[in-house]
Amino acid sequence: MALSAKIKLSSESAAPTWGQRFFTLLRALLRQPAHAFGTGVFVMFLLLALLGPLLAPFGVNEQIVQDARQAPSASHWFGTDRLGRDVFSRVVLGAADIFALAGVGTLLAVTIGASLGLLSGYRGGWFDELLMRFFDSLLALPALLLALLLLGTLGPSRNSVLLVIVVVYIPIVARVVRSVVLSVKTRAYIEAARVQGESSARILFREIFPAVLPALAVEAALRFSYAIFLASSLGFLGVGVQPPSPDWGLMVFEARGTVSQTPWALYFPAAAISLLVISVNLLADGLKRVFQVNLDH
Amino acid sequence: MKKKLKFPKLLSLIFVASLVLAACASAAQTSGAEGAGTLRVAFQSLVQTDPALISSDAEVLVANAVYDYLVDIDPVSNQPIPRLASAWQVSDDGLSYTFTLAEGVSFHDGSALSAADVVWTFDRLRDPVAEYATASLYENIASIAASGDLEVTFTLNSPNPFFLYDLSDNHALVIKDGTDDASDFNGTGPFVVDNYSAEDRIILSANPDYFIAGQPGLANVEIIFFSDETAMVDALRGGQVDLVMRMSTPLFESLDGVEGIVSVAIPTNGFDLVRLRADREPGSDPRVVQAMKLATDREAILELVQQGYGAIGNDSPIGPLYEAYFDPGVLPLARDVEAARALLAEAGYADGLVLTLHTPNTGGRPDLAAVLKEQWAEAGINVEISVEPEEVYYGENGWLEVDLGITGWGSRPYPQFYLDTMLVSGAVWNEAHFSDAEFDALAATAGTTLDEMERVEAYSQIQALLAERGPVIIAYYFPVFGAISDQFTGFQLEAFPGRTDLHTIRLK
Repeated sequence: MALSAKIKLSSESAAPTWGQRFFTLLRALLRQPAHAFGTGVFVMFLLLALLGPLLAPFGVNEQIVQDARQAPSASHWFGTDRLGRDVFSRVVLGAADIFALAGVGTLLAVTIGASLGLLSGYRGGWFDELLMRFFDSLLALPALLLALLLLGTLGPSRNSVLLVIVVVYIPIVARVVRSVVLSVKTRAYIEAARVQGESSARILFREIFPAVLPALAVEAALRFSYAIFLASSLGFLGVGVQPPSPDWGLMVFEARGTVSQTPWALYFPAAAISLLVISVNLLADGLKRVFQVNLDH
Repeated sequence: MKKKLKFPKLLSLIFVASLVLAACASAAQTSGAEGAGTLRVAFQSLVQTDPALISSDAEVLVANAVYDYLVDIDPVSNQPIPRLASAWQVSDDGLSYTFTLAEGVSFHDGSALSAADVVWTFDRLRDPVAEYATASLYENIASIAASGDLEVTFTLNSPNPFFLYDLSDNHALVIKDGTDDASDFNGTGPFVVDNYSAEDRIILSANPDYFIAGQPGLANVEIIFFSDETAMVDALRGGQVDLVMRMSTPLFESLDGVEGIVSVAIPTNGFDLVRLRADREPGSDPRVVQAMKLATDREAILELVQQGYGAIGNDSPIGPLYEAYFDPGVLPLARDVEAARALLAEAGYADGLVLTLHTPNTGGRPDLAAVLKEQWAEAGINVEISVEPEEVYYGENGWLEVDLGITGWGSRPYPQFYLDTMLVSGAVWNEAHFSDAEFDALAATAGTTLDEMERVEAYSQIQALLAERGPVIIAYYFPVFGAISDQFTGFQLEAFPGRTDLHTIRLK
């Protein structure tokens, strides 16, 4: 009782603004070089995604016939591909693509998955049982296999890939959130809230959700990195986003046949995928550390 | 949670590492051939070995080494030349063909070749019950009879000026009368099969009793099975094989200037055809196809998709390879984006036209789609590309249904085949659903007349008609590539690489 009272007190009286919280988090993240690197690279890609059209010197599918298959140079920083398209422009403009696909997909999966996880963990009973068994059956299939199965039925397109990301990651997010809810909901302060007669919705969102948030943030970052992988893999397998989209995975796939002639058309998008995934992972690692430290204190 | 974190990092490491390995793989050393008198060929593995069932290049290559055709088609002049048939006579009405067989020909089991073997072979191929791929090709044959021990007469229902080409069809290899198992490699051909291991290679040795003096020029041939083009070319660079046929343009380019390897590119009449269905909107309005033709920049397509190899197409399947039949005076429409826009507006698509462009995922076809998308967009034709695996594109005849599609057509020794199967009203593969009375009449004339000048004239008119209002865009004819160790001579690559003769190759 005393503990819960103390926590409630701190969260009510000295509540920092969202801006303050963000900068505290950022400062903590930048403390370790690896995490700082991850955060920096991630922010760079985010800026590329937002400002891509301003930075790209050429159009995404602009075919410059006389410049086809040129090595990196001052006029084409990453060279040109077999169809005379500027690889730098395509990589830059592809950033928005991957954020729109993997980012939006993750956001949707996290929102829906977290809601279902909260509800399932809090309510329990037949609802929890039914939902979890259904998710178990989805999780029994490897993510890529499930994705290929879905794409086989939906047909390859951008929206299909988005849907695949959402469907594949909802069960995973829901499970993580549910497990946190289960460990939190028996705590004394929740009991206290219930005794005070607070509504279920209020308990869920005001009392339990903040406790889930750190784990959810880490999970979201992880899911995002997996989603980049999944979207790129599907592009590489030729069943995802259709050409001539500047999807990085698709670019690697398409450049594979001409790797002896235009290796740069393969290496730069491949490097972009690796760099973004690594940076997101480092960021997730950093978030986890920061929350861990906060919880320990 | 900790373990979960490590996994994607590991994956990305593997990814980067595999890229580095891929880069190193192409840096192998070059050395000359080793086995004197042995030619090692890299090719895909065989699925079928019965001549009636073969289809892939590798299958035909082996069959052409083990068996003989009645007549061959000369790769340079594109004219029928003797093989098992040493001479032939055609009756004045064009209905009767009498072949005299070469003397002293024997099967690998020792038995002598007779007219009965030829009769049996072709009766088998045209058997309507057995349903071989050749059944419809030989429908026009009324009877086949042995008119002597070494003489065979084919009688036709109606004249077919291309009958000798039909007799040289890939499947038409002569096998022994009454053969139970036609995959037993008992042919009359220049090479005898010593050992066949379906997963690894087939080893052939010279037939000492071959009826053509001085052939084959090699003591042994090994056809080593590969599943990957890049691996074949790497094996050639590394000196593990001596001959590679059929490869992508980038791989061919990568062999340029490599010491000890002679690479050749030969023109074919193969093409990737873009066609719009003519029997329903929007293709039913000829102005729409016209606008597409005007919006297409063929030079840029040849340069980007084919890297400059091959020949510019004029929207007809009669390409420059058929020297006499090709009319160089018929030119494709020059690019004119404004005119294309105007035509589209006239046809009621002033605000642009939106279509899905279906394409198989093989060869240069996806690239062709990507280039067309950009070129057409300038004229207000907006296509969404759908790249499909071949089995999806061709599966359940979906390719014959879609409005806008890209289809690859292989090279044939004579052009009539394309007209009869692709463009005449109701043809079996009339993917554009094209129906034009004038075209049908011209195609019928070209396919039946025994007057060569009349045929040349009909083909010329067909080319003009197709360039003007045909439902197809043929932007290029693609070449075929081959590369052989410079230790060998006598290599004459064919437009269908599987039909390349191994028996004319010899050590220098």
